[in-house]
Amino acid sequence: MNRGRTLYHLARADFLERVRRYSFLLILAFAAGLAYLTYIGTISLQLGEYRGVYNSAWVGSMMTLVTTTFITLAGFYMVKNTIQRDQQTRVGLVLATTPMSRSLYTLGKALSNFAVLAAMVAVLAVAAVILQLVRAEGGGLEPRKLLAPFIWVALPAMAMTAALAVLFETLPVLRGGAGNVIYFFAWSAYVGASGVAGVNEYVGLGFFMRRMTDALRLIDPSHKEQQFTLQAGPTAHATKTFLWSGVDWTPQVLVGRLQWVAIAIGIAWLSALFFHRFDPARERSRRKKETPEPAEDRAGTDGLPRAVAVQLTPLARTTRGGRFPRLVVSELRLMLKGHGWWWYLVAAGLFVASLVAPDVQARQAVAGFAWLWPVLIWSKMGAREARYDTQKLVFSCAHALDRQLPAVWVAGVVVAILTGGGLGIRLLSGGNWPGLSGWLAGALFVPTLALALGVWSGSSKLFEAVYTLWWYVGPMNHIPGLDFIGMARSQFSTQFYLLATMALLMAAYLGRRAKLGYA
Amino acid sequence: MQLIIDKAGKLYRGRHGKVWALRNFSLELRPGVLGLLGPNGAGKTTLMNIVATITRATEGTVTWNGADLQRQPDAVRAVLGYLPQDFGVYPNLNAVEFLEYFAAVKGLDAASARRRIDELLQLVNLADVRKRPLGGYSGGMRQRIGIAQALLNDPQLLIVDEPTAGLDPEERVRFRNLLSDLSGDRIVILSTHIVSDVEATATEIALISGGALVAHAPPEELLCATEGRVWEWVIPSADLGAAKQRYLISGAVRRADGVHVRLLTESAPAGAVPVAATLEDAYLHCLSTHRAHLAEAPAR
Repeated sequence: MNRGRTLYHLARADFLERVRRYSFLLILAFAAGLAYLTYIGTISLQLGEYRGVYNSAWVGSMMTLVTTTFITLAGFYMVKNTIQRDQQTRVGLVLATTPMSRSLYTLGKALSNFAVLAAMVAVLAVAAVILQLVRAEGGGLEPRKLLAPFIWVALPAMAMTAALAVLFETLPVLRGGAGNVIYFFAWSAYVGASGVAGVNEYVGLGFFMRRMTDALRLIDPSHKEQQFTLQAGPTAHATKTFLWSGVDWTPQVLVGRLQWVAIAIGIAWLSALFFHRFDPARERSRRKKETPEPAEDRAGTDGLPRAVAVQLTPLARTTRGGRFPRLVVSELRLMLKGHGWWWYLVAAGLFVASLVAPDVQARQAVAGFAWLWPVLIWSKMGAREARYDTQKLVFSCAHALDRQLPAVWVAGVVVAILTGGGLGIRLLSGGNWPGLSGWLAGALFVPTLALALGVWSGSSKLFEAVYTLWWYVGPMNHIPGLDFIGMARSQFSTQFYLLATMALLMAAYLGRRAKLGYA
Repeated sequence: MQLIIDKAGKLYRGRHGKVWALRNFSLELRPGVLGLLGPNGAGKTTLMNIVATITRATEGTVTWNGADLQRQPDAVRAVLGYLPQDFGVYPNLNAVEFLEYFAAVKGLDAASARRRIDELLQLVNLADVRKRPLGGYSGGMRQRIGIAQALLNDPQLLIVDEPTAGLDPEERVRFRNLLSDLSGDRIVILSTHIVSDVEATATEIALISGGALVAHAPPEELLCATEGRVWEWVIPSADLGAAKQRYLISGAVRRADGVHVRLLTESAPAGAVPVAATLEDAYLHCLSTHRAHLAEAPAR
C-alpha cells in the first residue's frame, strides 16, 4: 500500500477515535475557556505599562501567544496517550502484525496529535476574530494579519508538541507519570530561557518579544525586553497603548518557523527508534528486575500430576468491623508496591533534611520537594481501578463506596504525613501551632485533590499536571493562597484548604458513587 | 437461597440511539449451576453485570433472598463472587498480595483470609508461583487468579463469565469439576460459548437471544425437545453447499465415503439416519425455532 495512504489512514482513524470521545469536547472547552479568559482580560499580553492597540495584528499575535503558551503545556498532557490507547484497546497488537513500519506509525500518531491540537488552535483563531470585532479598537478586520501568526507560529508549535508527546510515549523512562513531571520542568526551563534570550523558539514567546519590543522602542526607547509578559490572573492593567502592525513575514522568517515543523517530523521519526511495536517482551523489560519472563505454566508440563485434591474450608459469616485498618494497610501496600529502594531512600533523605535543616527557607524548600516526590503515588488514587481494569472486581465488593474509597483516602493522607513528616515534627517541636495546622491542612488537601481528580478523570495524568503546576506556582514561588505547604501561609489559607478538602472529598464520593451502578 | 430476576431490562443510550440489551427478562434461581447460553450480543454479560451490581437495571427488579438490589446492593455483594470476562490485575503484586488485597476489600478477617488464600492457590494450581509478580503471569494463570479471587469470600452467589477462556484443556476440566463441586449449596451462573462446559456442569440452562429469555429448563428437557430432529446424512462433498442452503447443519465431517452431515430438521431427507441429540443440537434447535417465531410474528 502507498505509504502516504497508510499514514493518512493511521492518523485519520486515531483522530476520529479521539474526536468521538466526550473528552474531546473537554479539550475544545479548554480552548474556549482560554479564549474567554483572554476576552475578559484575565489573560493578557503586556509590555510593561504598554499593550498593543486591538487591531488584527495585535489580537492575532496575542491570541497566538496564549495558544502556544498554554497548549504546548496542557495540550501535551491531553494528547500524550495515543500509543497507550492502542495498547489498551489491543489494536496495537493487530497493527504490529501488519507491514507498517515503526516510523510510519510514530509519524501517523504525531499527525493525529497535531490534528487534535490544531482543532484547539482553530477554536482560538475563531475567538480572535470575535475578539477583534468586539473590541474594534484599531480599524477593520485584516484576516491575513490576524491569522498569519496562528499559521506560522501556533501550528509549528503544535507540531512540536505533537511530536514530543509521541517521543515521550515511546521512551520507557518518560512514558509514565515521571515523564509528565519531567515535561513540566523541561517546558518551564525552555520557555523561561528562550523568553530571556528572545530567540526563535518554537513556543513563539521570544519570537514576538523581540519584534514587539523593537516596535515599542520606536515610541519609548527606555523600554526593556524583560517587561514582556503574558499574564494570567488579577494583575495591573496596561495604561498605555502602542501600535503593533504585525510581523513582516519574509521568506527568512517563514523558513525560521517552518524549521520547527521539520524538527517535529524528525522527532516523530526518531521516536520510531524507541517504539516497542507492542512487543510484550520489550514492555516487560522496563519493569523491575525481579519480574520474570511470562511464567511458564509449569504445572502439568513437567510430567507431574496436576490435580491436587483441595478441600475449601467454608468461611464463617462474621460481622464486619475492625477490618477498616486492615483495608487501609492493604491500600497503602498497593500504593507503595513497585517502587525501588532508591525511592524510599530519597523520601527518607527529604524527610530527614526537612527535619534537621537549620535555615527556615531551606527547610521549607526541602519540605516542598518531599511533597513532590510522592506525586506518582498519589496520582493513582481513585484512578487505579480504571488504569488496571479492576473496576468490576472492586466495585462488585460490598462497601466499595463507604469502606474502600475512604481507605484509599486515608492511605493517601498517611503517605503525605510520612513523606512530609519532617517539617511536621519540626513545627510540632517548635510549638508553631499555626504552621502545624497549615501543614496538616496541606497533608489532607493534596491526597484529597488526587483522589477527586483520579475518580473523575479515571486517569492519573490530570492530577500529575494540575498538582505539578500548582506545586510550582504555589509552594515554590511563594504565591499566597496557592501555597499548600506553609511557606506563604495565612490563617485564611488553612481554612481554605480544609474547606477545599471537604469539597473535594465530597466530589470524590459523588464521582465514585456515579460509577457504581447500584450505589 | 433465592435469586429472582423479575422483568429486568437494560437500555443503553448511545450516539446512535437507544438499544435494549435486555428486555422483560425474568428468571428464578435456586442452588445449582445455571448455564447461560446465547449468541454474541444476546445480553448475557449485561444480565451478569446487573446481578453482580456493576450496572443498574433500567426497569424491573432483582432480589436476593428478598432484598431488592436497587436499594440494598450490599446484600448480594457480601456473598458474591464475580469473575468478569475481562479484568485486570495489579502487575506489581504477587498472587498472595493480590488475594490479600481483595480479601481486605471483601472484609475477610486476616486469619480466615490467610487460610483461604493458601487453599485457593493450591486449588487453582498457582501455589508454586505465589510469590511472582502478576505482571509476569500468562493469560491462563491470570484467569486462574481471577477464579481464586471470585472464590475468596466463599460466595453464595458465584457469577463466572467465560471462565475457561484461556485455560488449557486439563485446567478446563479441573475448573468444570470445581464448579460442579461448588454448586451444591450455592447459586452459580456460568456464561460461556463452550457448550461442553455447560454440558458437564449445568443443572439448568437459560438460553438468551436478543435480550430475551428463549428457554429455561434442565438440560435433559432441552434434549428431549430436540430428540427425533437430529439426523446424520452422508452426502458427496459437492452437495454440501446445497445441503447448507436447505437444512440447519450442526456439524460436518469428511470421511472416505463422503461428508457425514449432522442436520436438524423435522422431516429428514432420504438416506438420513436418526442420531441422539447433543446439547449443541438442542441449542441450535431452540435458537432457530425462536428466530422462526420472530420472523412469523406480525410486525409491531
